Amino acid sequence: MEFDWSPEDSQHRTEIKAFLDEVLPENWEEMSSHGPGSDVQAHYSREFCGKMAEQGWLTQHWPTEYGGKQATPWRHAVVGEEMWAIGEPRGSQYMNVNWIGPSIMEYGTEEQKAHHLPLISSGNVLWCQGFSEPEAGSDLASLRTRAEKIDDHYIINGSKIWTSYCQHANYCFLLVRTDPASKRHKGISVLLVPMDTPGIEVREIPSVVGDRYFHEVFFTDVKVPCSVLLGEENNGWNVVNTALQFERIGAARYARATVTLDKLAEVATQRGLMDDPIIVDRLGEARALCEAARVLVYKVIDLRAKGSPPTADTQVARVLSTECDNAIGRLALDIYGPESLEYASFADSNYRLAMTAGVAVGATEVQLNLIASRFLELPKE
Amino acid sequence: MDFELNEDQQAILEAVDRLLEQHAGPTRAIELFANNTYDSELQQALEESGFSNILNDMAMEEGKLAGLEAALVVEAVARAAGVCAIGSQIMLAPLLTGKELTDQALEGPVAICLRSQIEKPVPLRYGANAKTLLVLADSNSDDDLEVITLGDGDMESVKSNFGYPMGRLVNTSVSGTKLGADVASKVRNWWRLSLAIETVGTMEAALNHTVEYVKQRRQFGRAIGSFQAIQHRLSLCAIQVEGSRWLAREAAYHNAQDEAVANAAAFAIAAADKVFGESHQMSGAVGFTREFDLHVWSMRLHTLRQELGGLGGHRKAVVAARWG
Ligand SMILES: Cc1cc2nc3c(=O)[nH]c(=O)nc-3n(C[C@H](O)[C@H](O)[C@H](O)COP(=O)(O)OP(=O)(O)OC[C@H]3O[C@@H](n4cnc5c(N)ncnc54)[C@H](O)[C@@H]3O)c2cc1C
Repeated sequence: MEFDWSPEDSQHRTEIKAFLDEVLPENWEEMSSHGPGSDVQAHYSREFCGKMAEQGWLTQHWPTEYGGKQATPWRHAVVGEEMWAIGEPRGSQYMNVNWIGPSIMEYGTEEQKAHHLPLISSGNVLWCQGFSEPEAGSDLASLRTRAEKIDDHYIINGSKIWTSYCQHANYCFLLVRTDPASKRHKGISVLLVPMDTPGIEVREIPSVVGDRYFHEVFFTDVKVPCSVLLGEENNGWNVVNTALQFERIGAARYARATVTLDKLAEVATQRGLMDDPIIVDRLGEARALCEAARVLVYKVIDLRAKGSPPTADTQVARVLSTECDNAIGRLALDIYGPESLEYASFADSNYRLAMTAGVAVGATEVQLNLIASRFLELPKE
Repeated sequence: MDFELNEDQQAILEAVDRLLEQHAGPTRAIELFANNTYDSELQQALEESGFSNILNDMAMEEGKLAGLEAALVVEAVARAAGVCAIGSQIMLAPLLTGKELTDQALEGPVAICLRSQIEKPVPLRYGANAKTLLVLADSNSDDDLEVITLGDGDMESVKSNFGYPMGRLVNTSVSGTKLGADVASKVRNWWRLSLAIETVGTMEAALNHTVEYVKQRRQFGRAIGSFQAIQHRLSLCAIQVEGSRWLAREAAYHNAQDEAVANAAAFAIAAADKVFGESHQMSGAVGFTREFDLHVWSMRLHTLRQELGGLGGHRKAVVAARWG
């Protein structure tokens, strides 16, 4: 047991910081406040990821045969931390490199690999994740969007909801039911669907999280060739589970939270709030939470680096990250006071991101169920 | 970075666990607690087996300390409810003995308190039996440390419900060797760290006890641990314990730096309150009885919560270290 970064990883962090300093536009802070789903960030992510790719950093954790450098999960974590800390200039493309590309490597046909992987690793393609449905949220296995196989095509009918990033996406990593007689986890497949296929309609759902966050995606007689099937038919549940094994902590939220908290402490000092024992107490509490979230995420990365199967440590880290986000989100509102009531102010932007943490990527209660059964081995009902 | 024990660390844990099987555990703790006394055999066994000086002995480089290895021992002793001043024996005394205090062997049990607690004495862990008292300034802004050798009658025994043998200073004019601000701030950090680590071991044991209980206790025709309301709350406790454990171990590995120990203590001490509340609530009435072992760990948590300024003090220390 030891808790040092390797000199190479530390060196890489320095390089990444210098790179960010150099390439990010002057108005980056303002740009990033619009959120990763915004037009401006989606557009910029192509430019930025292109530059990352030129450095050989965008997919450095991929195997060499797919253009990567086989960098360790620790090296990949350094990149993730630095990206999130500065507001994630990769936009939605963090999903591509974290799990969409790797799933295609594992389950894709040669043709799929040859088509999709170079697009992803050059940083010029956007994806969205079409899992949730109006009637299938936490209980994802009850999804109903149907893909019917007719000759060498699938005909897709149904709808997806809450789909982030889909208004700009080129492809959708889509979960569908291919066997209508099947129940729950069986009979589900993954399709890699081009978003410009006729019959796909994207509608924004206005929300208090911000513009361009939530969408509904309707599929009406959408005809795609069978070659878009990823992995075996009706085995989609396994594909998704491997893909998302570590993705609950794929976003280094604690790194963003740390930067936000430092800024809040600076503002509190400027405004003379450091004499307020309640503010001091909450800053101390939030900082300890951030650090605990960080070290628990590291524990999961360690498992991953050793090739161990995922454990409920992932959920443990995830729930604490959510607590951390929420504590800092509330603190921002209270330190800025009534100023935070203005849309797109610092506290408002931050709070809108924080408040969804316990629902996005799986509700906290579902994570707690898993901790209870796998970590504490408590009996089922 | 590596979250698994290496061979040496594994061997340390196995050895200390073997020793604790002989010299610790709830039954022994209850027995000693009834007489408000400490476990001189455990203290001696730890000394004779070389654990007391592990902080210096296991250090890999000159000028460094084996904080993590020491922490693993403290955590294990707390988990087994050992009745000796483990934090000061393993983490504080080795900083001073033969180094800052060349002419003086620091004799255990070592009790520790803040300067204001000399003027207005309070119950201290292991106070009744303490041979040495460490006194730190109340705040680190004008830090100093006094090492006092206690004589007969300097302390009195205090009856307490909070899990450790306790004593209070009666001779308020005691005095000893004064050491400067540098040593004092180092001792302060290691004290904070040992509080965090002891809290981890103690909480873990209280939580494990509760998890086992809810698995076997049946009501309404089912194990109470199968109710989701119980499962979620225990899961939240487990998250608190894990967060506390890894923050404290990391802080120990980096040899008790200001901010890291403050974070570890702030997190663990807040967690302690939650674990106390949930473990007693879920253990029902029997959880409050002396024959049910939970109190051996749970009541201690409130003692740990009082030291070095308590939760508010640790959080203030976080803010001072990061943004001060
Ligand atoms: C910001 C954001 C972005 C998202 N992006 C995407 C995306 O890109 N693609 C996509 O497919 N989905 C996305 N989602 C959807 C997300 O995955 C779902 O919201 C989530 O899985 C929960 O489903 P639900 O909203 O239907 O809540 P429900 O399943 O209806 O649950 C509501 C609440 O009920 C409780 N609950 C549910 N199940 C249990 C249980 N078993 N035990 C105890 N309590 C329970 C929980 O409190 C839960 O929060 C996004 C969501 C958000 C908030």
